[in-house]
Amino acid sequence: MADRRNGAQSPEEQVRALYEEAESNTAKAFEALVNKPSFGRLLALSAENTAALTRMSFDAVDLLWRNLRLAGRADIVRLSKQLHRTEDKLERVLQEVEKLRDEVARDREGATS
Amino acid sequence: MSVVDPLVSAVDRVVRFPANALEYSNILLTTNDAVVGATPREVVWTHRNTTLYRYRSSDRRHAVPILLVFALINRPEIFDLRPGSSLVEYLIDEGFDVFLVDWGYPDEEDDDMGLDDYVCDELDWAVRETLRASGAEELSLMGWCIGATLCAMYCGLDRGGDRGERAGRVPVKNLVLLTMPIDGRGGTYANWVADEDFDVDGVSELWGSIPGGAIDFANKMMKPVTNFWTTYRRLWEGVQTGTAKREAYQSMAKWVADNPPFAGRAWREWIRLMYRDASLLRGRVRLRDRLVDLGRIDQNVLVITAGADHIAPRPGTMPFFDLISSDDVEHFDRPGGHIGLVAGSAARKELWPGIAEWLAKRSDG
Repeated sequence: MADRRNGAQSPEEQVRALYEEAESNTAKAFEALVNKPSFGRLLALSAENTAALTRMSFDAVDLLWRNLRLAGRADIVRLSKQLHRTEDKLERVLQEVEKLRDEVARDREGATS
Repeated sequence: MSVVDPLVSAVDRVVRFPANALEYSNILLTTNDAVVGATPREVVWTHRNTTLYRYRSSDRRHAVPILLVFALINRPEIFDLRPGSSLVEYLIDEGFDVFLVDWGYPDEEDDDMGLDDYVCDELDWAVRETLRASGAEELSLMGWCIGATLCAMYCGLDRGGDRGERAGRVPVKNLVLLTMPIDGRGGTYANWVADEDFDVDGVSELWGSIPGGAIDFANKMMKPVTNFWTTYRRLWEGVQTGTAKREAYQSMAKWVADNPPFAGRAWREWIRLMYRDASLLRGRVRLRDRLVDLGRIDQNVLVITAGADHIAPRPGTMPFFDLISSDDVEHFDRPGGHIGLVAGSAARKELWPGIAEWLAKRSDG
């Protein structure tokens, strides 16, 4: 008890402190590792390979789907892009209408005052 | 200490292990049920995936509304994490009219969305709709991470007229920039993506929009041991000692795991301007043939940096001060990480009052 009051650590606390120090050192070592350009190259190649595999599998499924005369992902994307373009045009027309409405309201205010 | 104490403690731990294990797994398994973004809000405007929300204050005391802009990765709910720990809630209580722009979840049909679309259309129109809805003539723009960079680009965009002229000015009175990257060279990200061997065009073309999971994995790999191990080990310790904060852990974990894709063209433009040529810093970024010149920024500016930010380290923000032409510039540099600084448990006492006070002085009439 007297030892603890003097700040001495119990064996359990010593083990914990040792573990935390080891974990902290491991974290620093890993951070240094991922900071290396070689790790970056590894990550880049992995990203490219994963992207290519994803695209290939999507294309294969899409091909099968289209041959079954069903709408595939590519068809849905094309339709969605078309909807986006329509929405863009609508937004711009709406803004013009609002601008004109504001102008008319200002003119009316000017005429009455 | 008697010799039997460690033995008693060990036995106690063994006896309590099943209950602790159940609680620990329950916290992890029910994370998706956590309440995130609970403050009542209404939709003001939508376009494509973008939605503008309004959080009304029942005690509005400031004439200038605030528009919150988050990054193109992760979700803007971090501004409104959970009841009692929400910046939105705090600002409403302080009497501000708060708006938030949500970029949504881009999909394959949004692959062709670039930074110009976000800055020149989505953000510009969100500003316009905020002013229309609030009836104000100017607003305060508060951006965080990439959102802050987008806000700076928006204010620096050449709209005709010379610097400082009223003509062509954006209706932004105050600009608050939280942990904003301006020059990403020299960091871990740059080590990964700045090398010309990394084919950004190829990856973005193959993938279309970059999956949110890939972005999240890259973010976590910057501190792999901390993110993949220490977080869970600390939670386990918290459960054992009865100090685990279930709500705080779950809301943050849920937010971290919610990753929208990054639109392909915007992603490759971001990598180039931030990590390869620092063109924003050099005034060489053009959006729809208009130059982004940070020297045009003459708003009241508050920049907030975090001492332990490994995603947007402070040295990558500092050059901003040499570029802008504002007379009213303030810099809060606080300890903390990229997200924890603004959304952590200490933010409510240490950072938010400072932001609210800074804004309040500049938001009347």
